[in-house]
This record gives sequence, structure tokens and C-alpha cells, in this order.
Amino acid sequence: MKPDENLKVALYQNLVKARELEEQMTKLAGFHAGVGEEAVVVGAFFGLKDGEYCAPHYRGALTAAHMRGADLHRLIASVMGKATSYTRGRVRGDICLPFQFRTLGMFSGVLGNPMNIATGMALASKQRGDGTAVVTSFGEGTSNIGGFHEALNLAACLSLPIVYVCQNNGYAMSTRSDYSIKTGSVADRAVGYGIPGIEVDGNDVIAVFEAVQTALERARAGQGPTLIDARTYRLSGHYTGDNNHYQPSEEREAWIARDPVARLRADLAASGIMDEARMDEIRSAAHAEVAAAIAAAQADPEADLSALGPDDLYCPDDAERASA
Amino acid sequence: MTQMTFQEAVVAAIVEEMDRDPTVFNMGQDIGPIYMGAMHSAKGLSEKYGADRIIDTPISETAMTGAGIGAAICGMRPIVQIMFAEFLGMTITPLACEASAMWYKSDGQISVPLVIRVLCGAGPHRGHAEDYIGIVSSVPGIKVVMPSCPADAKGLMTAAIRDNNPVIFFEHMGIYHGPRQEVPGEAVAIPLGKADVKREGADVTIVATGMMVQRAQRAADKLAAEGTSVEIIDPRTIVPLDIETVLASVRKTRRLVVVTESWRTGDPLSDMVSRVAEELGAEGPLPIARVALQDTARPFALPLTRASMPDLKDIIDAVHKVTKVQK
Repeated sequence: MKPDENLKVALYQNLVKARELEEQMTKLAGFHAGVGEEAVVVGAFFGLKDGEYCAPHYRGALTAAHMRGADLHRLIASVMGKATSYTRGRVRGDICLPFQFRTLGMFSGVLGNPMNIATGMALASKQRGDGTAVVTSFGEGTSNIGGFHEALNLAACLSLPIVYVCQNNGYAMSTRSDYSIKTGSVADRAVGYGIPGIEVDGNDVIAVFEAVQTALERARAGQGPTLIDARTYRLSGHYTGDNNHYQPSEEREAWIARDPVARLRADLAASGIMDEARMDEIRSAAHAEVAAAIAAAQADPEADLSALGPDDLYCPDDAERASA
Repeated sequence: MTQMTFQEAVVAAIVEEMDRDPTVFNMGQDIGPIYMGAMHSAKGLSEKYGADRIIDTPISETAMTGAGIGAAICGMRPIVQIMFAEFLGMTITPLACEASAMWYKSDGQISVPLVIRVLCGAGPHRGHAEDYIGIVSSVPGIKVVMPSCPADAKGLMTAAIRDNNPVIFFEHMGIYHGPRQEVPGEAVAIPLGKADVKREGADVTIVATGMMVQRAQRAADKLAAEGTSVEIIDPRTIVPLDIETVLASVRKTRRLVVVTESWRTGDPLSDMVSRVAEELGAEGPLPIARVALQDTARPFALPLTRASMPDLKDIIDAVHKVTKVQK
């Protein structure tokens, strides 16, 4: 499938909004920003069908949820734990997403869990036989967790409709992937499970989108899982306050030269789809939209103690729920 | 009514729910037609429902549990067989870190109707006895069920499958293929969180779980001959615990003995003991004794296994200890 002009425009709109979100949010305390990694997020989660589920990596999670329909202001309020958050402040919104948009987040800080749970979401798709598929993403550091290997092997054994996208930024906090992953490529690990492993330029949003769409078609057709290794780079810190001192400056410079936003702009301009002025306009609008959402969330009230819910431990049974 | 063993009763409950509800399916190692589950825990299921609903998996407890959670939050009602409770350690990250928290943290957007089946306890094969029930019981949001007889096993499994929360269902190997007992011929759910008074008495309350309920019954028979009247309560659901039934009994007897096959330290019923003390301790003498596993790894050789567990004499001694105290 080749993206048409409208699609490229839409990818640009999402990409610059993602960039604005990551850049502006990283100024807030404790945020795990993904400046530089936006093309993987947008390419992986753009264009999922309405009934399909996904489980995005925490880095870029807000963009994924927003593309599925979640409100930007409320997503940001959820990061701040405000009363207007999607869960009234019960979960930290930078890593955990509102499930009503069929986006699963992390209910703990333990990596690897969402991809295992996403594997079960794909099992539910298979059980229903409705032709839907699931996309989940995770960092390359997570590909060293036992649960990664179990999930991919199980998905392969059961031929589950799922696409595993490794948002490979080369660093697990400060640990370099050339130290922790001796196959060099995460995609090579797919051989161990007998599934396709595909390397893609993670700073090329169109390449990521096409790779994920191809894998999704395969999954929806009942041909099983695919592992995509999308190579990118984290220009922001692991979290707000991390100054990336462990990244060599020449390495950073090389990746800045491959910036995903600049590359898409060059492509759009060269192919005559949009001129610079129009692209600047879109970027300015995205900047203003994100800034307004952050300001609105900051002005929201703090979480109310009515959300504490000491008796809210269990989901009631169906009869109780029906009569409630 | 019909006669069933514990194992037959659990499987019968699963069959009834699978017939009633197409979203129920099973996933586990060796549960398919070749092996039918460890100790025949899935006997007949694969034959009846086929590979789509009785799914054999590789040895991947973390992924099986995670996948069960994922299927559950997308509208299915999975039953995941982790074979032995000893393997629960590998389920902790998805189960205790994620599934337990989803309903609360999502503010009611996500429910997790998942059953985890595990075999536990000292049984005929002298292995895999550890239940780690203290670990899983200490995490809010997971229900923990441990039946002591076929009739309870059937009704509690029915309730566990219908429940909208993660439930760990412990099946004790020492009573798994024991005597048949009358069980309802149709699905009758026993509510989770409801204890059963297994024997009425006036002098001492024994709270016992799993295989220890039988052992407490035998002790009560001997104590009756001495003129001591024992009341036996089986909580059946360890979490949530029916504290009211326990309090009502101890309010009457003012003496409590707790008998479990769990390690003494961190036994979930030790929390029950502190609740009893908090509620009733100020009203007068309240002698309490606990009989549990010795606080070491579980030993292997049969004489060591037996000596490390509560036996009939331990239970009777504990009752004597609390009846010595004048009310």
C-alpha cells in the first residue's frame, strides 16, 4: 500500500502534534518524553480500524491515545493527576491510557506486561473471529525481558493476529543496546520464534506506517504475528531531568540530522504536496493546541478525595452492575 | 444430586459454564486430548470442546497469564491453568502488578474476569506442594479461593468463572481424587466471600482451609469424646474473607484455633487473627492458637513432609492449649 497525498498530510499533522506534545511535556516534572521517536509512534498507531485494540509503549503513549480519539486536555490532566483526568487521578496518565479508546497502558511500572496482555487481546480477536488485529509497541530494553520471549513464542504457536513494534531508541535508560542485545538487531530475534522480523527506519514515518500496515494485513488474514524493529533515537532524557550525558555528541548530531519531522517536511515539499508556509501553519496550530491543553490542565483542580474509593476494590458481578 | 470427586466436580462446573457461555475458554500446558491436564484436571474437556476452546500452550506462565488478562479485558472469560501453585511466582508481574489493579486504577473502565487454576498442597506425587498463598493474598484486587470438598469446589468454580475479577482457584492434590460426595447436578454458584460452618459447636472455633478442614473434623470427633464441642469454619474464600462468620463464632466460643497448610509467617489467616483480636479482644480472655506449616522450605522425605505439616495431634494440642484458659 502506497500512502496517497491525503495520508501524507495526515501523517504530518500527527507527527508535528506528537513533536509539540513531547517537547512541551518534557518541561513538566517526571515526564518520559520521546523527542525524536515520534515517527515510530505515529506510524505504528495511525490508521488502526475502529474496533481494533492497541497497547502502545509508554514513551509516546499520549500521541497514540490522542490518535485513537482521546481528548488532549484530559490526557495531559491525567499526566498531572488532576480531577479531570480520565481516572480522576487514580493512575499516572503518562504511562497508562484510557481503555475506552481501545488503548491499553501500564497499570504498574513493570515493563513487558503490556505486550503479554496485548497478546491476549489478539487471542480474543482470534476467538471472536472478527478479523481484527492488535498493535503493541515497546522499547528495545523490554526485548530482554522473559515476558517478551514468552509472548512472541506463544503468539507464534497460536498464530495470533498481532504486530509487535520495537520502538528501538538504542538506550534503556543509560544502557546501550549494543551492550544488551548481542544479535545487533531486535528483528533478528524473530528467527527464534519462526515469525517474520523486519527492520525499518524508525525516523521515516511513511516507512514505519507501511511496514505496520503490511504486518496488520497479514495478521488480519490469520497469518500470525510479525516483529518490527523500528530504529530511532531518543533526543530527550529518559525522563524530565535526565540530561543524556551518556549519549556521545557525534552520535546525537548524526541522529538530529535524520530528524523525522524534517525528513517528512522535505519529502512533502519535494513532492509538491505542501509548501513550507502551509507546513509551518500546521506546526503553529499544533503548538498552540498543545500549549492550550497544557494550560487548561494546569488550571484544573487537583484530584478530589471522592476518587479515593477504599471500597472500590472489585468489579461487581453482572447482576449488581445491571441494577446499579 | 450426583456423586463426584473434587476433580470431577471442578471439571463439571467448567463444562456447565462453557455450555452456558461461549466466551469461556481454557488455556494451559498439557490440557489437550493427549494428557488432559496434570492429575486429569482437564479430563474430557478437549474431547467435548476441541482445540479452539481448550488451548494447549508452551511452558510460558507469564505469557499465559498476560494473555488471559488481555483476553479477559476484551470480553472473554478465560480459565488459565498454571498447573501448580508453585509456578505462581512467574505470574506475579501480569497478575499482581496489572490485573489486580485494573478495575481500581482505571476507575471502573476495565474488568478482568479471569480464573487462574492451580494444584497445590501435599499430595500423592510428593512434589509441587508450595502454594505461595500468602504472596498472592497480600495484593489487593485478586480473589483467592481454596475449596475443601467436592460440593464446594463445584459451586465455587461456577462463581469464580462468573466473577468479574481475577480469581486464583487452589485445588488441593491431597483431596483431588478422594471420596465422592453429593454435589448439585446443575450449576449452583456458591458466592465468593461466604464462609461455611462445617460443624457446629460451643467451646472452641477452629478456622481451617483446604485439606486441613478434614483433619480438623477428625480432631473434633476425638475432642467430642473428651466432652469438648468444636465449631469448624471453612472460609472457602481466603480473599475476600468472610470475617463476620468467624467473628460470630468466636463471639460465642471465645476460643480460636487456626489450622492451615501455609507457612506460619505471612499466612493470610494471621491477618484474620489480628482482626478477631481487634474486634473481640477487649471483651475478655480470648485464647488463640495457630497450627501451620513450619517456617522452612517444604522438606521432601515423607516423614519430614508429615512432621512439617499440621497433624491430628498438633490440632488437638492446640485446642487443649486454648481450652485450658478459663473463660
